[in-house]
Parts: sequence; C-alpha cells; structure tokens
Amino acid sequence: MKLYVYCLTEDIDSLSGPIRGISGAPVRLDKIEELGLMVSEFNDETVPVTHENAMDHAAVVRSVLDRTTPLPFRFGTLVTEQQLRSYVAARKSALKTNLSLVRGCVEMSVKIIWQVAMDQEEEPRKPVQGIGATFLAAKRSEILGSELRAAKAREISMWLQESVKGLTRGEKVSIQPSEKLFLTAAHLVGRDNLNRYRTKMVQARDERRDLHFLLSGPWPPYSFANIELDVKTQFGVS
Amino acid sequence: MSDFDQVIEEWEGTDLSLLETLDHVLNRGLVIAGEITISVADIDLIFVGLNVLVSSVETAHEVLKNRHPE
Repeated sequence: MKLYVYCLTEDIDSLSGPIRGISGAPVRLDKIEELGLMVSEFNDETVPVTHENAMDHAAVVRSVLDRTTPLPFRFGTLVTEQQLRSYVAARKSALKTNLSLVRGCVEMSVKIIWQVAMDQEEEPRKPVQGIGATFLAAKRSEILGSELRAAKAREISMWLQESVKGLTRGEKVSIQPSEKLFLTAAHLVGRDNLNRYRTKMVQARDERRDLHFLLSGPWPPYSFANIELDVKTQFGVS
Repeated sequence: MSDFDQVIEEWEGTDLSLLETLDHVLNRGLVIAGEITISVADIDLIFVGLNVLVSSVETAHEVLKNRHPE
C-alpha cells in the first residue's frame, strides 16, 4: 500500500469536509513534523496520466487554497508512509522556509503568444542569383529572424516584469523565442494585491495589442514549490 | 468589460482551463526524488493539448475581433 501525496500544508488541523482524490480514494490530512500532508491510499504501482486524474489532483490541492497556501506535490508522487516521513524529516527546515515564502500568496500564470509572424517584419529581401548566394541569403535571413525574435522576446519579458513591479513577491519566467508560445511567466502574488495585479494585467494587455495573452489563476503555487529538484521520473507503460 | 476579460471568459469552461491544469500539475510542484511513477497511455493528449491551447487562443481572439471590430 502506497500513499499518493497531493500537497504540504500549514495552519490547518483538519479538512473542511470529505474530499475524494485519485481513483475516488478518500483524502486525509496526516501530520508529520508539525506539517500537514494531504494524502490518499493508492493500490497500483503507477498513476495513469488521464484528464480525470489530473483534475482530481488539482481539485484536492485547490480545496484548501481558501484557508491556507499549500505547497503542491507534482502529479504522480507515490511513496510509502516511511518514505514520506523520512522526506519531511530530512527537509523540514527547507519545507518550512518555502511555506513561509508562499504564505498568503497565490500563483498567477501568464502566457504570451506571437500574434504577428516575425518574418513579416523583416526587411524585404533583395533578389539574389546562384545556388550559393541563395543559400547564404536564406541562412542570413534565418539567423536575423531568430536574433530579432530573441531580442523582442527579451524586451517583452522586461516590459512584463516592469508592468507588475511591486505587485509580485516572486516570478519564474521561461522564454522560447522560436516557439509561437514564446513566454511563460508565473507570478507569486499576495492575496491582498490580486485585484491590483489583475487591473495591471488588463492595462498591460491594452498596451500590447500586438500580442496574445493568456492569464489564468489564482493557482496554488505550483511553480514555487520546488526544493532540491532531483527528478527521476519512471515512465511505466500501460 | 474589456476584450481581455472576455477572452478570459472564453477560455474558462473550455479545454484551455484543463490544459492549464495539466501544465501545472504535470510540470511543476514538489518532487520526491525517484518517487514519481506515472503511466503514459494518455500522454499524447498533453502534447496535442499544448498545440490546441495556442490555436484556441487565436480562435478566441478571432471570434472577439469579429464580434467587436476595431
């Protein structure tokens, strides 16, 4: 028998009511080293990645978000009770520090997509002759295109950071200029700043109508939970 | 209500909220080394989903543009 682990909590002594988790199993709140852990029993060896299971995981973590700010575990965390106790005991200090960093906050997610194909913004190409010249011209265009995209992505990232300055307690930004979805940002926002943050994002969107925005949240702080990331994911086949 | 709010409303209740959920629960969160054990029968849905996310955002935007031409 293993435990499926959803999240780590503080400041709550019990669940507000019966909660069902992965595979419909009842969720309970275990206390280890003064920290709360939301877990359910799990009988299989692997957790299938299905929409239903992913939503169940998210729903359990979200169920305590109005009472506290949990540190979510990644989907598929299966451990024995002993392993869980050892993990918490060994990292108690780091876990408490991380809980204090996210305390009173939620995560807001921003994704930005290029609206205009960047090659449309390049200068018109001059006609070239010969196979070699054509190849070099195409290569030059490709390199200039990616440099232009990278520079623009950096500029937009800095603009976004400036736009929400003073409203966030932390941020994680990932830029992939060559992808259409080129910027992903997670902002850690104090609950008391949430309305101002939303207003600011609406203003930011109005400033940059050349971009598509996807704003979602509030989320539990998934992007700010990691401690000692030493991932060894085992992919089973079902 | 701004176009932005409307876009957000378009996203809510669609597959986009599901894809955002998948993005969060599968890619982020505390990890206990060596203890994530998942099976991948449904994994294609995630990769397909990310493409759907991008195209759905564009579709939502197009719908709004047609509804409220500037």
